Amino acid sequence: MDFKLSEDQEMLRSLARDFLTKECPKAKVRELENDEKGYDPRMWQKMAELGWLGLVFPENYGGTGGTFLDLVLLMEEIGKNILPGPFFSTTVCALPILEYGNEWQKAKFLPQVANGTAIWALAVIETLGGYKASEIKASARVGDGHYIIEGTKLFVPNANVANHLLVAARTSEDAEGVAMFIVDANSAGVEVEVIPTIAQDKQCQVTFNRVEVPEGNVLGDVGGGWDIVEFILDRAAILKCAEVSGGCQAVVEMTNAYAKDRVQFDKPIGSFQAIQHRLVDMFVNAEGLQYLVYQAAWEISTGFPSRLHTSLVKAKAGEVYQRTCLDAIKIHGATGFTKEHDVGLYFRRVKASEFAMGDSDLWEERVAAELGL
Amino acid sequence: MDFKLGEKEEALRKGIREFAQKELPSECFCLLLEEESRDEDWKLAMSISKKLAQKGWLVMAWPKEYGGQGASYWEQMVYGEECGYWGIPGVAMGVSGVAWVGPSLMQFGNEEQRKKYLPLIASGEADGVWCTAYSEPNAGSDFANIQTRAVRDGDEYVINGQKVWTSCAHRARWCWLAVKTDPGAPKKHRGISIFMVDMKSPGITVNPLLNYHDAHIFNEVFFDNVRVPASNLVGEENKGWYHLMQSLASERHSLGPPLYGNARRLLDELAGYAKEIQHDGKPLSQNLGVRHMLADAVVEAEMLKLFNYQVTWELTQGLIPIYGSSRNKAFGDQLLERIGIIGMRIMGAYCQVDPYSKWTKLHGIIQRVYLLSPGISIAAGTDEIEKNVIGQFKLGLPKSY
Repeated sequence: MDFKLSEDQEMLRSLARDFLTKECPKAKVRELENDEKGYDPRMWQKMAELGWLGLVFPENYGGTGGTFLDLVLLMEEIGKNILPGPFFSTTVCALPILEYGNEWQKAKFLPQVANGTAIWALAVIETLGGYKASEIKASARVGDGHYIIEGTKLFVPNANVANHLLVAARTSEDAEGVAMFIVDANSAGVEVEVIPTIAQDKQCQVTFNRVEVPEGNVLGDVGGGWDIVEFILDRAAILKCAEVSGGCQAVVEMTNAYAKDRVQFDKPIGSFQAIQHRLVDMFVNAEGLQYLVYQAAWEISTGFPSRLHTSLVKAKAGEVYQRTCLDAIKIHGATGFTKEHDVGLYFRRVKASEFAMGDSDLWEERVAAELGL
Repeated sequence: MDFKLGEKEEALRKGIREFAQKELPSECFCLLLEEESRDEDWKLAMSISKKLAQKGWLVMAWPKEYGGQGASYWEQMVYGEECGYWGIPGVAMGVSGVAWVGPSLMQFGNEEQRKKYLPLIASGEADGVWCTAYSEPNAGSDFANIQTRAVRDGDEYVINGQKVWTSCAHRARWCWLAVKTDPGAPKKHRGISIFMVDMKSPGITVNPLLNYHDAHIFNEVFFDNVRVPASNLVGEENKGWYHLMQSLASERHSLGPPLYGNARRLLDELAGYAKEIQHDGKPLSQNLGVRHMLADAVVEAEMLKLFNYQVTWELTQGLIPIYGSSRNKAFGDQLLERIGIIGMRIMGAYCQVDPYSKWTKLHGIIQRVYLLSPGISIAAGTDEIEKNVIGQFKLGLPKSY
């Protein structure tokens, strides 16, 4: 048992902190919310040069051979700072390619991710908005040497700038008859429309009108697609929770600073127990979430994830982020309610992170199942 | 980073599990402080204490020369978790002796005191049972406000005053007592000292204080010209406050792992119950509300587990957990209270039955937790005081009281 990060991990973390503070100040975050692309290609290229985009790939695919825990630490910093853009969406598509891709797919797609030339987006959920195999209605029919995909996907992050889509589509009527397809986003019949969201984070509706996909672009086995979705969910949920955990830490920190600074009745408001105890609750929950994330990430890194430990993180994260932001705004008073204050940037991301990769209900159900219920 | 416990700790876990299954009556599940009330529970607790002592577990952290095993912080943590999970009575022998009198004597007692008192505690016998007398009618959270006086008279001190909420005073052989030795000190926490007092001394009167459910856990204790040998002063005269802050930290730290163990056991029991009980021809466990209430509580139990790990890890690194023990105590208290509330809801109408009656479900453990949890969250520092500690010493906020 050891709560200490390695020297390399400490270095990754402080590099990330420096880079994000410099390259992505809050003014930049605001600018990118209103930007059509939603990310900064120059910054993206620098992230590639830092080795972030291929952080967990082996060197032969252009990566730096880091662990899943390293990736989680990076996501935590990204969450603290807020980094708009396709890092998460690209990463959660690259992980299953690394795990399930054949040699040709890995050699073709992974180096492009690592060097920053390819952006990916995960297209699984549909109109019901949930991660259930039975909710996948988009179909993939067998054509002549290719598949023909038809259907509509919702809440596909960053599809507006993606070169590739990783798409779940139904190949048979059995509940789990789903396959994962690597689809060129520029294929004929792919239509992308940005959904206006509270987080202004470029989630999209993607429509597939008889889109032809070569047979060689099936990831893993036809009919084994849902296992891949499950593989993605476990890892992507932890990455998303790392981002949330970082966000909570940043919000607690700024609120604590404000409570020391702001004077009313001739005293810093942090000296009032109504404020202080609320801050303590925020801090303790954020810290607990951080440890839940680390435990699950470490277990995934060792190759022996516990289903309970993975599931319970995302069951909790949404609630903690929401409570933290709401209390933070109240402690800031009317200032916290303004467009200019940073706390609102975090609050507007609460629901996006809660609904990315399965909502609290889905993960609570998994925890309940692990309890034998 | 590494989240795995060692083989030694896992072997200990297995050993305790076997011990619990062999030595405890099947319906036995004891919560902190609970064993002190009913005579039959206390008798069982003391018989288990002796067996724990024989196993070398009762004071496993202490050095061998004082009856311990020099167990690691990780072993102590696992022991705490498992004792909580199995609800093993007798683990604490009235809490004080094992949890902080012994550790305090090792920190700031003298060798003569260690030789006399530590083996008594380590034996698991009745002569090793202690109570702790800090609180007074006008000194609760504001502990430095105590008025009980000790005045030097030759080789003795003469003690006068009143203590209250003294858990286990009716079972204890010894009292770990905080008194004022210098009422004129410029700051009130500078005039406090600690004494060890024989509860058989003339002039001590113990009056029971029953709780709202008739449990006899705490007492009032009156000291009327009680004479105590000067050699029973612990540490330095008038330095008691500083000694006690250290021992309170040990006390709070020792509470986290058993609270986690309690929580996991209660949740397992509730999950089992929900699977057995049918509502409208369907097991209660299929009710979405029930599933989510239990799942939420499991997540919080996991947070408490990791908080315990984190404090234990700090101790192994030679760091002093500045706020972690307070965090774990307050978080654990809130969790236990929440499980009590959830549990009562799951039990339905049976939740109102006396826990010892024939109508009760799950041997009454849910009602007992529900009834006991407010007391647990007050004992050893209220949750509000713990939050003050975290606010001041971790978040660096100004003193709020």
